[in-house]
Amino acid sequence: MTTASLMGRPGGFTTTGTGRPGLRERLRRVIQYRRILALLVRRDLKVRYAGSTLGYVWSILDPLLMSLVYWFVFTVIFNRRVGFAPYILFLVLGQLMWAWFNGGVSGTVRALRQQAQMVRSSNVPRELWVLRVVVSKGVEFVLSVPVIAIFALCYLKAPSIDVLYLPLAMLMCFFLVLGFGLILAPLTVLVRDVERIVPIFMRVMFYASPVLYSVKDVPRHLHIALSVNPTTGMLVLARASFFPQELAGDVPEMNNSKQVIVNGHVVTHYVNNWHFVWHSAIGIVVIFAIGVFVFSRLERPMLKEI
Amino acid sequence: MTTSEPVISLHDVGVQFSRNRRRHRSIKDLLIRRKLGLDTQGEFWPFRHVSFDIHAGESIGVVGRNGQGKSTLLSLIAGVLLPDEGSVNVRLGVAPLIAITGGFESELTARDNIYLVSGLHGMSNDEIDAAFDEIVDFAEIGDFLDTPFKHFSSGMKVRLAFSVVSRLNEPILLVDEVLAVGDKRFRNKCLKRIEQLLEGGTTLFLVSHSEGNLRSYCQRGLYLESGELRADGPIEEVIEKYERDQGTWVERAVGDEVQLEEYADLAASSSEDVF
Repeated sequence: MTTASLMGRPGGFTTTGTGRPGLRERLRRVIQYRRILALLVRRDLKVRYAGSTLGYVWSILDPLLMSLVYWFVFTVIFNRRVGFAPYILFLVLGQLMWAWFNGGVSGTVRALRQQAQMVRSSNVPRELWVLRVVVSKGVEFVLSVPVIAIFALCYLKAPSIDVLYLPLAMLMCFFLVLGFGLILAPLTVLVRDVERIVPIFMRVMFYASPVLYSVKDVPRHLHIALSVNPTTGMLVLARASFFPQELAGDVPEMNNSKQVIVNGHVVTHYVNNWHFVWHSAIGIVVIFAIGVFVFSRLERPMLKEI
Repeated sequence: MTTSEPVISLHDVGVQFSRNRRRHRSIKDLLIRRKLGLDTQGEFWPFRHVSFDIHAGESIGVVGRNGQGKSTLLSLIAGVLLPDEGSVNVRLGVAPLIAITGGFESELTARDNIYLVSGLHGMSNDEIDAAFDEIVDFAEIGDFLDTPFKHFSSGMKVRLAFSVVSRLNEPILLVDEVLAVGDKRFRNKCLKRIEQLLEGGTTLFLVSHSEGNLRSYCQRGLYLESGELRADGPIEEVIEKYERDQGTWVERAVGDEVQLEEYADLAASSSEDVF
């Protein structure tokens, strides 16, 4: 039996040596503490945006600057063959999405270690420290959406109903980062090296993911690699909000056609890119499930080591 | 909830640590270790098979030599450590005065920290607004409200932390040796606050090496020694048993002041230590 104390504060708890609280119990606790999560996120944003007058600029400067750099390299130096025009909008969408994913994963790696003192002295659900980072980075992404809108307006791309793909991509990103975070945050406390491995892994992932290029630029025989990469579908969806070619199957400029012989006639089949989205969705569900499992396993030893 | 139900109950509780902490661990080992129970030499149990029930309004003093698991016990009740055996059931909110300045963010001002830490322990903004002046007065930091916490002296940090945590209005208060820090005047003020809370029906858990404090604030004692709960009873009997076991009570010879200062040094030098 749990009794909330006066004023509806989160009250008691039960911990046992045999077994761990189930998913439902953990979820109930996190929801019970949602106000504290909001407090932590507000705190993060306050530090981020009030700390310096250029706070907002800092948070979007990196992805924007990198977009410009890549735009210069790929359109002025090289003769761009990848992505879609306007390439700068194409880049900004990918870069901002990636900034959330990258910032989120790097942040969650340190989520528990950096807050060691807090974790040691407060019994808020430990998942909250991970969630806080994911949500903060998510809010930063939402705040950068106006930048995407400005670029879209500059190139006179009127938003269509397709922009609704963007929230879907954000949902995927949220659970993907959360899944990785639940694995990595307690692991870093126990195995220090994780903190060094993750940035290297993320840099490799950046080039292995369709951020600078579109999935249609990738040769067919490498599609399997794109399919196992859970960020692929997320990026495809985010892009599709302004570039319908990214998802559609019947666009001639895409190398997604297959010549099949039906009844002696050569027929061209176009394959659309929704399969990337499904594969990523499955991958994200799997990573999230592993995250929940690993976190519940590592919570006990983590609390002793932190 | 009926009043006869215990607010804290521990049933057959044990905690296991590895002797050489931070030893190399492989990821695979961590994921499958629990069921296999390997590497028994490297493990030790600060205590095992500890069971007791605490009812609302009781005040409990915990005694034992260093390293016998007193702080571990408090961490379990604060919910910041999970037992390896048995079950810990805490039915009401806990205000933990352990690792005392822990929850404070060094970059933020004192004002922001009051809202952050009180909020972390579940107080709403309205409640904090109402308690704000009292917290500031008690901590005696009026002029430094907008100073970043990192610029505070260690004494000021402890004053603010005690002021915030003791104002949380939680029905259970855990105090772990924190009274050893700070000057004598503030210590007395803290003790007075604890007295007030006790009169208001707060359940107190006090870890202390000061016989005087234990006798004046606690009715019941718990004595941890050699991995077990060696005694659980009226505080006088428990202290007597502990004294008999230890030969002499350290404090007798050295005197209250000196001993407390020693602990202040000890606390400062081993603030990283979880045990």
